[in-house]
Amino acid sequence: MRRLMRWYGAGPLHLLALLGCFAVAGYAAARLVPSRPAGIAIWFLGAVIGHDLLLFPLYALADRSAAAVLRHRTARLPAISWINYLRVPAALAGLLLLLWFPLILRLRTRYQASTTLSPDPYLWHWLGVTGALFLISAVALALRIRRVDRATAEPEQPEPAQGTAPDITTDAHPGEVSGPGADDAPG
Amino acid sequence: MSDSEQPPAGGPPQPADGAPAEPPVTEPPVPEPLPTEPLSRTDSPDPAPVSRLLPRWLAPAGELPGPFRRAFWRSPIRGPWLTSVFGLILLAGVPVVFVTGLLSYAAYNPDLSPVNDTTPDKGWLGFYLFSWPTRPEWLYRVNQGVHVTLGLVLVPIVLAKLWSVLPKLFEWPPVRNPAHALERLTLFLLVGGGVFEFATGIMNIQQWYVFPGSFYTLHLYGGWIFVAALAVHTGLKFPTVVRAIRDRGLLRELRVSTARTQPEPPAAGYLASPDPATPTISRRGALAFAGGGSLLVLALSVGQSIGGPLRRVALLAPHGQDTGSGPDDFQINVTAADAHVTADQTGESWRLALALGGSAARSLTRAELLAMPQHTARLSINCVEGWSTGDQEWSGVRLRDLARLAGLASPAPVLVQSLERAGAFNRVVLSAGQVMDPDSLLAFRVNGADLSPDHGYPARVIVPAAPGVHNTKWVASMTFEG
Repeated sequence: MRRLMRWYGAGPLHLLALLGCFAVAGYAAARLVPSRPAGIAIWFLGAVIGHDLLLFPLYALADRSAAAVLRHRTARLPAISWINYLRVPAALAGLLLLLWFPLILRLRTRYQASTTLSPDPYLWHWLGVTGALFLISAVALALRIRRVDRATAEPEQPEPAQGTAPDITTDAHPGEVSGPGADDAPG
Repeated sequence: MSDSEQPPAGGPPQPADGAPAEPPVTEPPVPEPLPTEPLSRTDSPDPAPVSRLLPRWLAPAGELPGPFRRAFWRSPIRGPWLTSVFGLILLAGVPVVFVTGLLSYAAYNPDLSPVNDTTPDKGWLGFYLFSWPTRPEWLYRVNQGVHVTLGLVLVPIVLAKLWSVLPKLFEWPPVRNPAHALERLTLFLLVGGGVFEFATGIMNIQQWYVFPGSFYTLHLYGGWIFVAALAVHTGLKFPTVVRAIRDRGLLRELRVSTARTQPEPPAAGYLASPDPATPTISRRGALAFAGGGSLLVLALSVGQSIGGPLRRVALLAPHGQDTGSGPDDFQINVTAADAHVTADQTGESWRLALALGGSAARSLTRAELLAMPQHTARLSINCVEGWSTGDQEWSGVRLRDLARLAGLASPAPVLVQSLERAGAFNRVVLSAGQVMDPDSLLAFRVNGADLSPDHGYPARVIVPAAPGVHNTKWVASMTFEG
């Protein structure tokens, strides 16, 4: 028994729990799959890789591109971690699009025939909300820059070597974002 | 993956976790270059079983390519703590969505009659505990509002959780031992089942029926696959979660700004990067980011279930649009044209066929029915899709009066049939309890006007707390079980 568990790689409870899971899932799958096996399989696989191999590469690329393109800023601006002021409204707008794209993009659905409602407003609603998100973010960034400007202007001291206020992220390596480091990771 | 997961043997010395070291604010918290090679190949404590199990090509001696290398993933906030917190939020939310989903299943009274059963091959997966009640009358409205709105609100958390565990998809070697292989298979079910449930639900409420089969079938069985995998995943990961939260502290980490954010040491788990980049967002920032997404989705959709002035705020909800202020101006989900119900059928020639058991039906004209005692009830129509019409004032004949007229002595279920020929819900069997409720009506008028064709003229059923589709429109016959 001990040798068996050593080969297995975990305790008997682990095995029991997994077998229970497969029993329930298998029972459900036996009801789900037979009607349209190919369709179900494609949908299930799509669900497994949808985020990791489809969405993630898209948003990671967008994030890195934004960081790379917008790295060159005027030197008069204080060093603020500005990327989140772009990331947040863009991601929220993307989230809303992900949830509601059949309505927003006016795909051919049963919606209009069933509800007598037109899908036309949704594109404008989404654009309006997106605009509002970027506007709020821009105002927040402007306020932040002003606050930091004042904080740095007030003390008439020689500029410290690096950052001044404890809540400011210095942008020491603006090219680095928290996405995957695809290229220059050591090792 | 499994709890057998251990930090790499002989890894580099790590800074003690939770050390109060407050680094100089501006110093990027990147530790000195780490010899990452031993980390990237395997994080098994004992490489021997791997080499016994795997062919040579699965355990290459040289450098792994791209994402299969652990150091490829450089987010300084990824790690057991962040993943655990997202996991705990989902652990609070997903069971609520699952239970409200099962309650919605029960609300159709599937065991009362095959007519009501949208998943006849359910076996043990559609167990039936009770006959769906009619009180409180907001029961189904709240149940579906929670099911659909909470489901939507959890989407940003699900995405954040998937982002936080991404490196694990590329973990190398892909399997370390049989336990690890089986556990990865449950993750396949967890992610596949979970995303499948969210996707089919979100598409269904927009009536974009491109999924492979009946929504009821897919969403019920898919839900069981998801929950089976979630239960075992929760059980296996719970010790990891407890350890991660205890090590960094929940509130302690929430006080840490971006500048002071420290990566978790690679020894904390596979998700912690051995070569972390400079943080651009704190962990609390990432939580606020995902939580902000949830709040935004909530604000833009909850109005379609709550109704009133909030409906106008539901800018991105299928039934968030204002439909006008006339007596018949409230939400519709099947039009007369859609149901192929014509003016000929609903005009002067319309009769209600009222029968008891197998006995001959009696025909009633609309005028005869309107001459019976009329009752008024304020009720809403509440859809499985999570929206509600809000309360409307219906008037018509009580179902229990019709039961008596049909010759029924004691309460019994009734089969209601619509003029609609096709359509999944052109008939329904209402339970004895639903028939006997004093507010259950065969309605002819709403808000002081005759029903409009799209709301079921000449007569429709309205039952408190029933799923919307059970309020049959264009009623042609009612057959009580004798």
